[in-house]
Formats: sequence, structure tokens, C-alpha cells
Amino acid sequence: MRRAGIIHVAPLLLAAGCGKLQGFDGEATPLVSFQVVFHGDLAPLRPPGVTDTHALRVALVWGAQWLTEPFCVLPPESPEAAAVIAAGCRDPFGFVSNVVSVGAPIAIDVPATLTLSQLPAADVLVGDVTARVAYASLVVFDDRNDTGTLDLWQQFPSFINDDREGPPAIIGRDPPDIIYGASFVTMTEPDRRVAYREGDFDDLSAFYPRAGCDPPTPGFSVLAAGGFTAQAAVAALLTGGLPQEDPSLCTVSAPDERTIAIDARPPADVHEIGCQEIRNDSSVHYLEPPPWRPDLANGNFACAHLPTFDTGSAQSDLIQLVVPSSGPPCKFLTHYTLRGCREDVNCAIPDWDFTASPPAWWPCGP
Amino acid sequence: MRPAVQRCFLVAAIATLALTASAARARAGDGQRPIDDSWPVQSTGPLAVDAGLVLALPATWQTGLSSGIGAGVTRGRRFAWGVRGSWSTATESSLVWTVSHDDFRLRAVAALQQPAGRGVFALRLGLGPTFVYEHRTRNQGARAGLTGSDLETSALAVFPGADLEGVVTLHIVGRWFLTISGGPTAIIADGALHGGWTALLGAGWQP
Repeated sequence: MRRAGIIHVAPLLLAAGCGKLQGFDGEATPLVSFQVVFHGDLAPLRPPGVTDTHALRVALVWGAQWLTEPFCVLPPESPEAAAVIAAGCRDPFGFVSNVVSVGAPIAIDVPATLTLSQLPAADVLVGDVTARVAYASLVVFDDRNDTGTLDLWQQFPSFINDDREGPPAIIGRDPPDIIYGASFVTMTEPDRRVAYREGDFDDLSAFYPRAGCDPPTPGFSVLAAGGFTAQAAVAALLTGGLPQEDPSLCTVSAPDERTIAIDARPPADVHEIGCQEIRNDSSVHYLEPPPWRPDLANGNFACAHLPTFDTGSAQSDLIQLVVPSSGPPCKFLTHYTLRGCREDVNCAIPDWDFTASPPAWWPCGP
Repeated sequence: MRPAVQRCFLVAAIATLALTASAARARAGDGQRPIDDSWPVQSTGPLAVDAGLVLALPATWQTGLSSGIGAGVTRGRRFAWGVRGSWSTATESSLVWTVSHDDFRLRAVAALQQPAGRGVFALRLGLGPTFVYEHRTRNQGARAGLTGSDLETSALAVFPGADLEGVVTLHIVGRWFLTISGGPTAIIADGALHGGWTALLGAGWQP
């Protein structure tokens, strides 16, 4: 009996002896993988002066929470204001990049795999610890500076960051990479996005909303939606709601169930994805008019009232001069007023007041 | 668990020192009863059984602290022989993995013992297998929805090992004693010798 027991235990011990301890060695198990395929002909889409595709890659870019300014989303009060909005306002429903995650080489019509070995960090998750979500767009770009990643661009007036006095100056370098497509460009078009959810899902969240669609599943998933119109979105926002998606165009898939297809587009249509935004707060910064005439964007400026969502109160009599950024890739506006403070144009004790004696170049009324 | 074990070690060590000091005072003090009268020792046999808390360097790691329990039985007087076993566990993390190792040490031991008053000094050599059960968990894997072997893996391996420990035993009262031991250990893994150390603080019974 005892011998039989030893005979039974011996193979177990031998098997145990053959075990291989790995400790901390070995490849990290991927947390998730996404299949991506890129379609289209890049030759006719290349910007002027670009004759080749250097290194086509796809990157997973987590989205940022960002609010446009009221001037950009409310109906323009004049044709000049409409022109300034067109030139200086980013698509208020567009995808705004926050953090570039993993990337991989990709070729036309050849599926590529993007593998994540780390979860998105807390700074890209929106919500509290019981219900938070992150969305990402898969961005196809020509890595022309061989960094292996998509270089996001920061272009905005320097006074926002450094509190420097004087007229705004553009900081940020020229974008080296050329973006040719993305799975999620704007909420006003059909999109396919990567989602990562922890805990519950808040249906009322306005973070890249998909009202009318099923919520993302916990963990990673691939979502699709048909998009909504800008008019519907503004109408919904003014009533405190969310624009509705067409449920028939919504899908929620596991990452391994769906290949995310991206079509090539002219870089001018998608380059804004590479622009980062100032997200310290959502306030509009105002500048006092300098003594000299600033660059007025070749005459593309507007004199407009201060915008407000409050339709019940009387409109401010203060007129602002709004000047758009002078060119691509990133859009922004510069606001000048004759009276006000940098953080609050309606401050009780203004930092500057030129209403009695505007500068000679001031093109707007007092 | 580990801080609790360390606290137990500290308390037991302090208690041992206090008892030793008490015995010394009892012998030196005038008008006090000898400690042998107050706490008579009744152990006379060759058999000794002990158990206690174990602290050790993890068998296959050169870092961390493995804590657990151990026990053993020996027979003999000047020369004793017996068997011992211990289990201790340690958990460490990297950016990607959380790995725990459960070390099971089985030893056949031989000891040279020298009585000294109420105590016994010994040098103990142990030979035998060390089983290591490894459990690895992919960090962030559960939050990402991984399951099965993508999330967790385990393995069991056995290595030949040897311990050389110094042992101090102090008889307290009746058949009970406190024991403390410690010394270097070694296992052969992947064709190489891996050194370490182990220590035990416990209590025992000797009829």
C-alpha cells in the first residue's frame, strides 16, 4: 500500500521538478490587440512639396476632454464673424488628442496589429473611480522625422502659458508628421473608436457622447457610431441634453471581433487631430489692445459682441476684436477688448480701460 | 502578514532576553530562590519537537523577505538527527508582474549539540529538496479583462538544497523550551549555486 502511494506521488514530484519558474522574466502578456487596415492612395493626397511617403505608421491616441469657446459654437452675428470662426475655430465636435500611446508600422491594405501592454493612465480617463471611460482614435500618419510616434503639435498664443505682456506670439514648431487618416475624426461624421471603461457607465456624460447607442463594455472595446449634425448638437446642448445617434449605426465589439478600417483623407481634413489644446480651464483669455497695430490676419477679423449662452440677460455693450490664427495647422483665436482683465473681461476693476481713448488703429467701436 | 511575523519575532526575542536576564538575576540575587527551583526543567529524553516562525531569503530570489512557519523533530543527545520542514512565502512586483513564491523546505538534519546550563547550543546541517510554487499575475490584467493563463500562471519546481544553522535552545519550564536558529542556505538552480539565509524563532517540547 505504501509502495503504491510512493509510485503515485513520484510522477508528481518529477513533474514538479520539470517546472520552470519564470519570475519577472518573459514577455509581458498583451492587455489587448487591435487589428487596423488602411485603405486609399496617398499620392494624390500629399501636401505640396511632399513627394513620397517616408514611414507610414498607425498610432493609438487617447482623447482629451476639451470645450470650445462660446464664440466658436454660437451663431455668428455677422459675415465677418463667420469668416473668423471658419479660420480660427477648431471643429467643436472634433476629436482632440491628449496622449499618444502605442504605434506600429502600417501599409496600404495590409492589416496591422496594435498591441497595448499598459492600460490608459488616469489622466486620460474621464469620470470618477466608480465609472470612468477613455476613448481613442487610431491615427495613420507619415512619420517623417522617424521618432516612431505621432508628434502632437502645440500652437497657441504664448501669453496663455507664460503670462508675458505684449502682443501674442505663436509658440510651437512646425508639425513634422503628416496625418492621412483617423478612425475617429469628429462626432459629426461616422466614427470608429477604441474605448476603455472601468466600472459603471454614465449615460449622461458629455465626453464624446454616443447617446442612443449601447454603452461600451467594461475593459477594452471597439465602438462605432454614425455621427450627428452640428445643428442637432447645438440644439441639444441649448436644451441641456445630448445629441442622439442613430441606433442602427451603433456597434459595440470586442477588440478581436472587428478590424478597424481607416480611409485615406487629405491631410488638411484631418491635421487638427495632431493639435493639442490648452486645457487648464475653459476660460477665454482677453488682451488689451497694444499701442501698435497687431497682425490682423490680412484683414480677416471681426468686431463682435461678447458671446453668451444666457439669452435672458441683456447683451454686453463691450465690443471685442477677434482675430484668427494666421494659418494651419492649429487654429485659435485672439481676443482684444478696450476694457477688461485677462481672465475676466467683465471684471469690476479693469486692468485696462481704453474706452475713452482707443488706439488709433482700433477698428471696432468703443 | 509580514509585519505581524516580524513583530512576533521581536516580541519573542525580547521575551527570550528577559527570561535569560531573569535567570541570571535569580542566580546572583541574595535571598532569592534559584530559578531551577521556581521553573524546574523536566526534559530528560532524546526527542525534541519544535515549531516557530520562519524568516528567510526567498529560495530563488536574491531580494525580498519570505516569511512563514517551520517545524521539526530531532532525536539524540550529543549527536542528533531528524527531519524538518518549513513553508514561507514572499510576494514581489514589477511593472508587469506580481509574483509570489511559496518555498517548501524539506530537510533531513543532523546536529551536534552542546548542553550549557538550561540551554543547548547546536550546529545543524540539513539536506533535502526545496519546492518552490510560483504564482504570477499580470498587473492590470483583470482591469483589462484578461482571463485564464493570460491573467495568471503558476509553476512548481524543486531544487536540491542545504542549510547550515546555528541553534540556541533555552529550556524554560517543564518540558518546554524556546529555540532560535539561523544560518546560510543554498540551493542548486539552473546549474548554479544560489545562496541565502534562513532563521527560525519558536518553541519546542522535549519529554
